Amino acid sequence: MRSKLPDAASSRKMAASSAVVAILASIWLCSSIAADASGSSSETTMHTNNWAVLVCTSRFWFNYRHMANTLSLYRTVKRLGIPDERIILMLADDMACNSRNKYPAQVFNNENHWLNLYGDNVEVDYRGYEVTVENFLRVLTGRHESAVPRSKRLLSDEGSHILLYMTGHGGDEFLKFQDSEELQSHDLADAVKQMKEKHRFKELLIMVDTCQAATLFNQLHSPGVLAIASSMKGENSYSHHLDSDVGVSVVDRFTFYTLAFFERLNMYDNASLSRLFNSYDPNLLMSNAYYRTDLYQRNLQEVPVTNFFGSVMETVHTDSAYRAFPQKNTPRETRIRTGKTAEDDSRRSILTDMTKAECPFTRIVSSLESKMETVGNLDSLVNYGLVMILPVLVVSVWLST
Amino acid sequence: MAEVEKKEVAAATPPWKPKPRPIVRLGIVLISHSLLVSVVCCTAGVVALFLLPMLAKNTYISENALMPGSASSMLSNDDISEAERLAKDLTSLNSGAADAGIERRRVLAKYLSDLGVEVGYHKFEPHQNQFHPLHFFSSPDSGLSRENGSCSSYGINVVGIIRAPQADGKEAIVLVTPFNFRKNSSSEALSISIGYAVFSLLSRVTWLAKDIIWLVADSQYGEYASVASWLRDYHIPVFSASSSDNADSCFEGNNINLLREESLDQTEISSGFRRAGTMAAALVLKVTDVKGQLEDTLSVYAEASNGQMPNLDLINVVNYLAVHRQGLRVKVEKFISVLRWEWIWVLGDTLNFIGKVAGSLNPEWKFGISTPDYVEGTATLANLLYRQALGIPTGPHGAFRDFQVDAITLEISPKVVYTNQGRRNEFILRSARLIEGVVRSVNNLLEKFHQSFFLYLLTSPAKFVSVGVYMIGFALLVAPLPLVAASLYVDANKPDPSSQGPKHKLQINFKPWKWLSAAKQVFTVHAWGVFVSLLPYFISQIPNSTPAAHSIIWFSLSTFGLLVLYLITKSPFKPQKGEWENLKSVTISVVFIGLLLMSVVNFATAQIGALVLVPACLLAQPLKLDIRDASLKSFLRIACNVFISFVAFPPVGFFVLKGVNEGSGNMDVGEFWTWLESLWAWNSATYIYIGMVHLPCWVLCLHILLHSC
Repeated sequence: MRSKLPDAASSRKMAASSAVVAILASIWLCSSIAADASGSSSETTMHTNNWAVLVCTSRFWFNYRHMANTLSLYRTVKRLGIPDERIILMLADDMACNSRNKYPAQVFNNENHWLNLYGDNVEVDYRGYEVTVENFLRVLTGRHESAVPRSKRLLSDEGSHILLYMTGHGGDEFLKFQDSEELQSHDLADAVKQMKEKHRFKELLIMVDTCQAATLFNQLHSPGVLAIASSMKGENSYSHHLDSDVGVSVVDRFTFYTLAFFERLNMYDNASLSRLFNSYDPNLLMSNAYYRTDLYQRNLQEVPVTNFFGSVMETVHTDSAYRAFPQKNTPRETRIRTGKTAEDDSRRSILTDMTKAECPFTRIVSSLESKMETVGNLDSLVNYGLVMILPVLVVSVWLST
Repeated sequence: MAEVEKKEVAAATPPWKPKPRPIVRLGIVLISHSLLVSVVCCTAGVVALFLLPMLAKNTYISENALMPGSASSMLSNDDISEAERLAKDLTSLNSGAADAGIERRRVLAKYLSDLGVEVGYHKFEPHQNQFHPLHFFSSPDSGLSRENGSCSSYGINVVGIIRAPQADGKEAIVLVTPFNFRKNSSSEALSISIGYAVFSLLSRVTWLAKDIIWLVADSQYGEYASVASWLRDYHIPVFSASSSDNADSCFEGNNINLLREESLDQTEISSGFRRAGTMAAALVLKVTDVKGQLEDTLSVYAEASNGQMPNLDLINVVNYLAVHRQGLRVKVEKFISVLRWEWIWVLGDTLNFIGKVAGSLNPEWKFGISTPDYVEGTATLANLLYRQALGIPTGPHGAFRDFQVDAITLEISPKVVYTNQGRRNEFILRSARLIEGVVRSVNNLLEKFHQSFFLYLLTSPAKFVSVGVYMIGFALLVAPLPLVAASLYVDANKPDPSSQGPKHKLQINFKPWKWLSAAKQVFTVHAWGVFVSLLPYFISQIPNSTPAAHSIIWFSLSTFGLLVLYLITKSPFKPQKGEWENLKSVTISVVFIGLLLMSVVNFATAQIGALVLVPACLLAQPLKLDIRDASLKSFLRIACNVFISFVAFPPVGFFVLKGVNEGSGNMDVGEFWTWLESLWAWNSATYIYIGMVHLPCWVLCLHILLHSC
């Protein structure tokens, strides 16, 4: 859209006729509408799918609980309906096959050992030394090498709700990866911003269970992001209990109480996010859970937890399965867009404001544009435009001779 | 070029002088006030040494991976009863029988192979530790044991190896229980019981990440020798076919019976040497009978050769599990005699009072320590410093340290000799659970111990002084040496006030070389020191003589050597002015270098050596001058000098220390020889220090005292 502007300005300098201007403007308008239709705002899109990125960042046997945390959450989101192909599971170490594991190939998150988290149908996408800051950022931003299979990619779109869960050892504005690297809050914020610009999500819930987890969100600025942390700055996140049989702590407190909340739910429950957030008791956690909601527009009381932790979304009933497809993009969505004043619209208005200040030409353009908004039939507009080109051609030939 | 010009300009205009840099000025100030500085520094150094028990910090487990006590014990009474059955089988054999040792070994091997673990025998020749001047600081090598071994005596260790079921077998944990197969000892049988109970449990568990080696060390030739020779064979395999053939033929020739019998019924026992991975840690387990104890106690021995210590985390884990899980009392060896010293208690009271006063002034100053704690800490610290300074390992764990394996000896002593089987089983259960806990904790380790301190002093099992703290005292003690050396040199080479005038320039020309003659003297005396330290090697070759005779020969030869040297190098001229100052200056420099080098090799030796040598060197001044002076100050100095040079003579020092420690009983001249022999037999660097630093410096100090100026 912007590249058209200098062209138009230069043609004005050449003192072309106003008709030329009008035609060019109409062409620009057409293209702008077309661009708008393809790159539509995520705010206005329907919530169509759910993804989960679950990351355990620590190695070593004594960090058993981090893997157990992540696997427990994996089980929960799967139970609530997110399919395996939409879960990116990153585990930095393999506790199940660690030789110190008393129960080979099993991972438990409770000392009662009722539930083996490492059963038959666990698909780990990134394991061991594959879990690096680089790979994590590649997954989020979708910048993979061509050889990376689809199963290792986060193929979300503007209608996706993404749950990003991370656990490990953290500190002030960083999260340790693999005992050798750090993910800093800047890196995370930058990745989220890129995701936003690439329309990779509609809403993003970041849940972090580390020490001083809240500091990891300090640099986030992208809209549509909701963040939950297990502890404030200067606080530690503690493990919940020790399994004296396995000889290690098996789950962290924050994750334990999160799971306790979800165990009471099924896919059809309407528990809201605020109910989840209020379920954290600082006395039980031994730290203060932190929520960052200022980037999130919706009222938390109206958002069911299954919007992120499950894959439950509003279905649109259509009469015919076949007619639904061609209609899906054009009429319905434009109606929604005109109905709501969303972020992208405001961005466009900022853009037009800027151009208004620049030159009188753009003023005409914008007035034209506002007129065009009311024009229903695009085809006729294009036809009129083509017809109007003919006299212009004649006039220009006449002028040049 | 510009700089040269500038210098010329500076030289041309004398009133303008370049100001020396601040550090140079500081040095000049310190050197010019060297007396004050040396008094202050030495006092501070000694005070800092006595403050160490107060500055000790509580130990903490530094390595996250260890997680001691997080797993519950899996040891059951079945393991205990099985272990007791083994102990009964071992003790029931008639000890008088000639083949009792063979029979016991076979019983043990049978039990082990029934567990399904790999069993092997390790034959070794106990070689006498011999003085070899070139073997200091060198790594132990296999060639040592192969030399002129007589086939008449050898020992056989029994080794059991559990392969970790899910691990790669690259690491191992070693358990050692010394056991004399020839003798019946109830306490050794008890230690075998404990070892077997743990081992049988470990052979069943699934959580092993490191192989477990149980070495039942044949202790009939000493505990250390058997463990050391096994370690040597473990780490330094012999590839030369001829030598191994020799050794084997030697064994077979003499004891063909044993081998044949054993190979008959236990085909799975291989006589080849079995290995596992690199050793992460080793625990030596012993049970001793100590009378008059209030509760079951655990003594921890950690000092290896040349005062090396295992990683503090290993001691921490043992201490934590023993105290908090099994309720054992943990002890570190201490000097009992220190507890009787009245002045230590007074010092403790004083420090306690100071701490209380400081606490009342500012509640945040919490450096007070109760008097008994202080005295106990001092006694433990003194013992540790003494053990480290000796450089002789305090148990079989010392052999592991030579291969950079962290090891400690755990000596468990029951309250009473248990006759009741129930009480006995409970004792075994507690001890075995402790070992199990330590093994499980070390099993969690990813590589070797590295997180915690290697350089530390213990003041109690749960308190330590780290290197950063205890070095301060030593540094303060030796800091005056270079200053005094510099100041003496400056004094000695000052232009003589009486001979000012035209001569002045001439004198300056060769003054700077004056120290060379002093250096020559110092070098000669040190060469004599080397000669004295090498003498025992030749003296010990003399057959059929007592240690007392050895010492007398050694003493007379050394004195003779010194006399010869003195006659050869004695300058025929009248002693010049400033000669003794130069000599003292060079001596002090050499002492400084010697102490610094020694503090790197063995800190405790350097610390104790500095306590003696620093005052001796600093105070040394020709007696003639002091007598001529005839003031109270000079008489005081004479008294100090005579006393210090008397005590600093190594044999005198040894007997004084012995008298203080054990009371003046029977003093034998041979004891000093035996003591020194043990030093060189264990390759202790302290021997080198005494021979090449301490003794020459003592002679030089004496020379200065008797200087005829």
